Amino acid sequence: MNQTFTFTDKAKRLCYLLMGIGFIGLIWGYVRDSNVPADMAGHYNHNRFWANMLVNSFFFMGISLAGTFFLALQYAAEAGWATTVKRVMEAVTCYLPVGLGLMVLMLVLGEFKAHNLYEWMNSDLFTKGTLDKPNPLFDEKVAHNHSYFKLPFFFARTLGYVLVWGAFQRLFRRRSLEVDLNGDANHIVHFKNVKSAAIFLVFFGFTSSTMSWDWLMSLDVRWASTMFGWYTFSGMWISSLITITLLTVWLKKNGYLEEVQESTIHDLGKWMFAVSFLWSYLYFMQFMLIWYTNVPEEVSYFYDRIHEFGYRWTVWPAFFVNFAFPMIMLMSRDAKRNYGFLVIVGCCIFLFHWLDVFNMVMPATVHAHWRLGITEVTLFLGFLGLFLYVVLNNLAKAPLMVKNHPFLEESKHLHI
Amino acid sequence: MNKITLHGIYDDDQQLKEGAIKIVGMGIHVKEVFSPFPVHGIDPIIGVKRTRLAICAFIYGLTGMSLATWMMWYMMVTDWPTEIGGKPNFSYLLNVPAFIPITFESTVLCAAHGMAITFFLRSWLMPGVKAKNPDPRTTDNKFLMLLEINQGDQSKVEAALRETGASEIHVC
Amino acid sequence: MHQESEIRKPLIVGNKSYKDITDDIIRPVQGKANKYWWIVFTLAAVTFTWGLVCLCYTIGTGIGVWGSNNGVDWAWDITNFVWWIGIGHAGTLISAVLLLFRQKWRMAINRSAEAMTIFAVMCAAIFVTMHTGRPWLDYWLFPLPNQFGSLWINFNSPLVWDVFAVSTYFSVSLVFWYTGLIPDFATIRDRMTKPLARKIYSLLSFGWSGRAKDWTRFEEVALVLAGLSTPLVFSVHSIVSTDFATAVLPGWHATIFPPYFVAGAVFSGFAMVQTLILIMRKVFSLESYIQVKHVEYMNIVIIITGTLVGVAYLTELFMSWYSGVEWEQYAFINRATGPYWWAYALMMTCNVVSPQLFWFKKIRTSLVFTFILSIVVNIGMWFERFVIIVPTLCRTYLPSTWNMYHPTFVDIGIFVGTIGMFFTFFLLFARFFPVIAQSELKSILKLSGSEYKNKPGHE
Repeated sequence: MNQTFTFTDKAKRLCYLLMGIGFIGLIWGYVRDSNVPADMAGHYNHNRFWANMLVNSFFFMGISLAGTFFLALQYAAEAGWATTVKRVMEAVTCYLPVGLGLMVLMLVLGEFKAHNLYEWMNSDLFTKGTLDKPNPLFDEKVAHNHSYFKLPFFFARTLGYVLVWGAFQRLFRRRSLEVDLNGDANHIVHFKNVKSAAIFLVFFGFTSSTMSWDWLMSLDVRWASTMFGWYTFSGMWISSLITITLLTVWLKKNGYLEEVQESTIHDLGKWMFAVSFLWSYLYFMQFMLIWYTNVPEEVSYFYDRIHEFGYRWTVWPAFFVNFAFPMIMLMSRDAKRNYGFLVIVGCCIFLFHWLDVFNMVMPATVHAHWRLGITEVTLFLGFLGLFLYVVLNNLAKAPLMVKNHPFLEESKHLHI
Repeated sequence: MNKITLHGIYDDDQQLKEGAIKIVGMGIHVKEVFSPFPVHGIDPIIGVKRTRLAICAFIYGLTGMSLATWMMWYMMVTDWPTEIGGKPNFSYLLNVPAFIPITFESTVLCAAHGMAITFFLRSWLMPGVKAKNPDPRTTDNKFLMLLEINQGDQSKVEAALRETGASEIHVC
Repeated sequence: MHQESEIRKPLIVGNKSYKDITDDIIRPVQGKANKYWWIVFTLAAVTFTWGLVCLCYTIGTGIGVWGSNNGVDWAWDITNFVWWIGIGHAGTLISAVLLLFRQKWRMAINRSAEAMTIFAVMCAAIFVTMHTGRPWLDYWLFPLPNQFGSLWINFNSPLVWDVFAVSTYFSVSLVFWYTGLIPDFATIRDRMTKPLARKIYSLLSFGWSGRAKDWTRFEEVALVLAGLSTPLVFSVHSIVSTDFATAVLPGWHATIFPPYFVAGAVFSGFAMVQTLILIMRKVFSLESYIQVKHVEYMNIVIIITGTLVGVAYLTELFMSWYSGVEWEQYAFINRATGPYWWAYALMMTCNVVSPQLFWFKKIRTSLVFTFILSIVVNIGMWFERFVIIVPTLCRTYLPSTWNMYHPTFVDIGIFVGTIGMFFTFFLLFARFFPVIAQSELKSILKLSGSEYKNKPGHE
């Protein structure tokens, strides 16, 4: 039985190729994006390029962050079904330090005025000026929120998320590898994991919301929705589940993970189905309530996207594909056990959840000056290459099957 | 040849399954199995096919969805369009977010009830129907295998049943 | 699953056989009710009767006898409605969601939780039908032309969504519950010696005989109904929340309302299940099946949902400030420091602070503490709905409509009456129905029974 994954040269070359494309896209995108559109004069600083960087930094970071959440959930819920794919989950979480690093880099660059994605970083908007020389750019709403976005407070929060999440990710990974080598007498480490997972989940429960306000919702600084945090979280979660499922299927196809039962794949399919539904539910409820009440401050979010800035053909497909596709294709039991179905649905909604992040970031930052062009595609591919490289590299570092886990036998004999 | 009916009674579901495998292996059809709880894995052995109730539920659900859509389209858009909350009901599509909740409820309503009714009809379960379990203990702790065999096979079958742990055998 | 990890605690303790399970569970049905049952039942029935009297008084006189007034036109009625509907959520959640998650511990409690759902939704229905003012015209809620003229009901209204949601929820839960009861009724039917009882249970059991094919279908129905009920549970309380959230009223219009109401509903529902289960296990000596472990699991669900509710409260508070909308800010300041500050304080203490005590293993495994806290949580959840409704309505846009709300004896009477009704029905259920799904318990005996688990090499 093939218990260690080898990161073949072929796979490595593919990752390098993707990263190469991304690198070219990086230069191309930055250089090409130098014309300042008239309506955004003064605060367009290669925004399309940077917004793309933000979309990808966030999307892939979200995958590994939600992966860490899902891993912790398995511990806390005493779940046994997924023990055989635990290493795959762990590999996905291993991108977290890189992803968080890139996100922090994006924020720091914004603070140093490399880009103008976050309007509230622009001090012109919240300084009132004097009575005889009032500041024409002064914006009352932004000034109101300013105390929340003050530099030290904002970065203290960001640093807090990054350090704590990263620390928990490293902790789970380290303990998992240790148990492989040294065993786990009386399951002491396992119970320690349960405890750590509970602490992480509570911390994550609060910070996943505040993070989404800080990093995404603040792009539309004049707009607020109480559901935004949970909605963003569900998007990250489903993207993460897709990644785990696709990786598992790919590994199985390549002759690894023989002990992963068809039932485990079936369960992963169910999770994909269920979380897609959760995401659609949250999306719909947020949309419906804002549409229904039609309060100007709130409805601007959707109005801008659908009417003003012309994102109609990215907003609606992102919702309908992400809702209907898994809903219809993964409803039957056989479909969830069919690799072809899982791969098609998975790839498709993976792309469309990326598009969902795109829809959150782009309209807020480049308004109508968007395109799905070379910059978007190359940067996505570049980030994908980086993500895959880190994940596969970490997958190769440890045996594919955990040892000494109390629920391993349950998972190996899973039959539903 | 004369057919006789045989009841093989087991105390344990695992033994029942082993017995069924053995009997089926002898080329004898297991007519029915009565048990106090679902014995997992017995169906393929005695040749019970996978149920298609889920497909029924899906179809009922689609029906419910279409009915609700039609109802709201007819009442709110066609028959008497009204302007409510600044949202004129000129077309179904413009107002569809407000129609989703009822469409969903109706889908679930029809799927759930349709499926339950189909189940009751297919298994013929309703008030006043006489129970068909031959031994009252099969709703408690006994597992009963009902066989219809040729008289000539009787001793062979009985031996197989006993061998696999049947506690009682009744010939009727 | 064919194997269970050794670190999982057995779910059935004591050396139980299939026969023992049957006997233990139908004992209350066969035997006579004890003194305590009669005492509690009488108490509940008397309260129920008082509720009925208040109801008749309301119908005869009009809802002017309630404390609701011009400004505060929704008060106890809708508070109670949402409270009961919320409680009704745990039953289906336990049966459906936990079934999908293959949580075997649910088998000991799902039957009574589902029964609780049905009775709670019945209580809730009383308030919605009554608060219309002229309940004899409630058929106007159905998709019929208004007054049989040519105008239809308004499908854009969340109140109409509610009618569909609650009736679907009630009927689907009923079917789910009853389908699960059928095999257990058959078990009772085959044990009964008195001819009349035999006849009744025979009718109730629909002629169930436990054939392999029936079981296959039965399990498929349970699974699909669970799959349907899970989004149904979400949708129902989401729709209830849209009664508020679609209104352009500060404090009511928040996009987080739907998922937060669902979390709150599960929270209060589990608390109510705890209250009932802890009494039931004592009265009917079901300690072998409902153990401390079960109680602990439920307490963990209470911590999770309680924390989710806490996150939602804080999100709302933060957003009201962040949005910069004065009305929103005032709505929350008014809740916390206005005339009903005490209700807000109670809600925060009972819902957000008290469940955090369950982080201590000592407390979450102590039955006495659990019992007390489960009641505290439900008090908190009642006040949550009160806080959403009354303080908001008593301070709306027009200061000339500002006034206080005082419940009358009729308000209180009907509310207490529904509690009486709930317990009356539940006691009757516990007396005549199998309170634990024994066929399901039997199917996990070998996997999770203590005797079997300790044997080496069991499968």
